[in-house]
Amino acid sequence: MEVELVHRPGNSAARLRLAPSETVTAEAGAMICMDGDIAITTSTHQRGGGGILKGLKRMLGGESFFMNHYQAGASGGEVVVAADLPGDMETIRIEPGHGLIVQAGSFVAAESGVDMDMSWQGFGKALFSGEAMFWLRMSGSGKVVLSSFGAIYPIRVDGEYIVDTGHIVAFEETIDFMIGKAGRSWIKSFLGGEGMVCRFKGQGTVWSQSHNPSSFGKQLGPLLPAR
Amino acid sequence: MKANIEGAPAFAYIHVDLEPGESLVAESDAMSSMAADLDMDARTNGGCLGALGKSLFGGESFFISVFTNNTDGPRRVTLTQGTPGNIRQVELNGESICLQPGAYIASTPELRLGVQWAGFASWIAKEGLFKLRVSGTGTLWYGAYGGLVEKEVDGEYIVDTSHLVAYDPQLRLRVQLAGGIFSSFFGGEGLVTRVEGKGRIVLQSRSMEGLAGWLRPHL
Repeated sequence: MEVELVHRPGNSAARLRLAPSETVTAEAGAMICMDGDIAITTSTHQRGGGGILKGLKRMLGGESFFMNHYQAGASGGEVVVAADLPGDMETIRIEPGHGLIVQAGSFVAAESGVDMDMSWQGFGKALFSGEAMFWLRMSGSGKVVLSSFGAIYPIRVDGEYIVDTGHIVAFEETIDFMIGKAGRSWIKSFLGGEGMVCRFKGQGTVWSQSHNPSSFGKQLGPLLPAR
Repeated sequence: MKANIEGAPAFAYIHVDLEPGESLVAESDAMSSMAADLDMDARTNGGCLGALGKSLFGGESFFISVFTNNTDGPRRVTLTQGTPGNIRQVELNGESICLQPGAYIASTPELRLGVQWAGFASWIAKEGLFKLRVSGTGTLWYGAYGGLVEKEVDGEYIVDTSHLVAYDPQLRLRVQLAGGIFSSFFGGEGLVTRVEGKGRIVLQSRSMEGLAGWLRPHL
C-alpha cells in the first residue's frame, strides 16, 4: 500500500493506493471516495482474527464497533480516507517486534499485516492522561495511518520528555509514560494551568498533536446553548 | 533563542529552543510538550493586582508560566493555542502593541504585559473592558482563530467586531452599528468597530462566535 497525505496539516486526507487484490482496514466512516471495483466487507474484527469481543473492546477505546475492509480489484485501486476533525495525518510503519500504542480515536487505517488490540495502560493513565480509557496497541508489520486535531510532530525521546495531557497521538512501546507534574511542585504545576503532564521515559518516538481538542472545546462551549 | 512557527496557517504552533540561562514567558496552558529538564514556574501575571485585572478583564490567565533552561545545552519547549489558526512573531523595539483578549501566547521575559482600560464600547462589542498592552524590547507571539490579515489604517476603517486581534496603541476604537438599523440587524453584521488614526491593525479571518452561530442549529 502506498500512502499519499494531502492538504496537511489543516484538512488532511490520505490516498491509499492498493496493489492488485490488496486489502486495507479502515475505521468505519473514514472513507471519502474509492474506485468502483473495490470490494467492501464489514466486520467486528480484523481480518483473520478476533471476533465480537474485539469489536466490543474497540468500542471501549473510543473506536467504532465495526471496521471496514477494502479489497482492490485485479488491477489495484485507490481508497481515500480522512478523519472527522480538521487536522493532520501521519503514516507510521510498524516493524515486527516493535509495537505502537495509539490514542483511541486517532486510528484511521492499517495494512492487513497490522494486528490491533486494546491496551489497558493502568488507572493513572486512564483517568488523568486526557485521552480515552483504553489505548490501541498495534503490532505485526505494515503501515498505519493516524489522524490528529492539529499538526502532528514527532519527538525523539532519549531519557525523559514531557507531553501535556491531551496531546498524545501515539508512541513506540520502547517508551512509556507516567502521569506527573510539569513544574517543580504540584501547586505551581496547577497554578501554571498545566496541571498534570505525561512524563515519557526511555528511547523512542512519541507523536504529539499541536492542538488540544478539549482546550478548543472550552473556548467554544460557552458560546453554544446549554443542552 | 531560536523559534520556529510550524503548521501555519491552519494549525500553527511554536517550537522554541532555549539556550542555557534563557527564559520564556507563556500563557498558562500554552505548553504542549517540553524537555523534562526545563524548569517550569508559575507566576502571577504582573503582580497580584495586575494579574487580577488581566484575568478578570483582559481575558488572560491569572497565572503565567515561565520556562527556564538551567541545563548546559539547548532545550525545546513547544507552545500552542486553544483554537486552530495562525500565530505571528513580532519584534518590539521599545514600542507597544495592544492585543485583544485571548490572543497572547508567549513573550521574552523583558517584555512588559499590562492591562489598559478599553472602554465600555469595547465591552459592548464583547471584546472586554480592558485590553492587554505589551511593551518594551523583545519578542512577542500572539495568535488567532483563522488566518491573520494585516492592514495599514490611515484615517478611518471599519472592522467587524470579534475579528480584531491586535492593533497599534495610538489607534482609537469606537463601536457602532454597521449601517442603518435595518442593514445592521438583517445584514448579519450587527455591530462593527470603527478604527480611527494612523497605524496597523491585525485581523483574524474567522471568529469563534461565527463558528458557534453556525454550529447551533446542527446541535
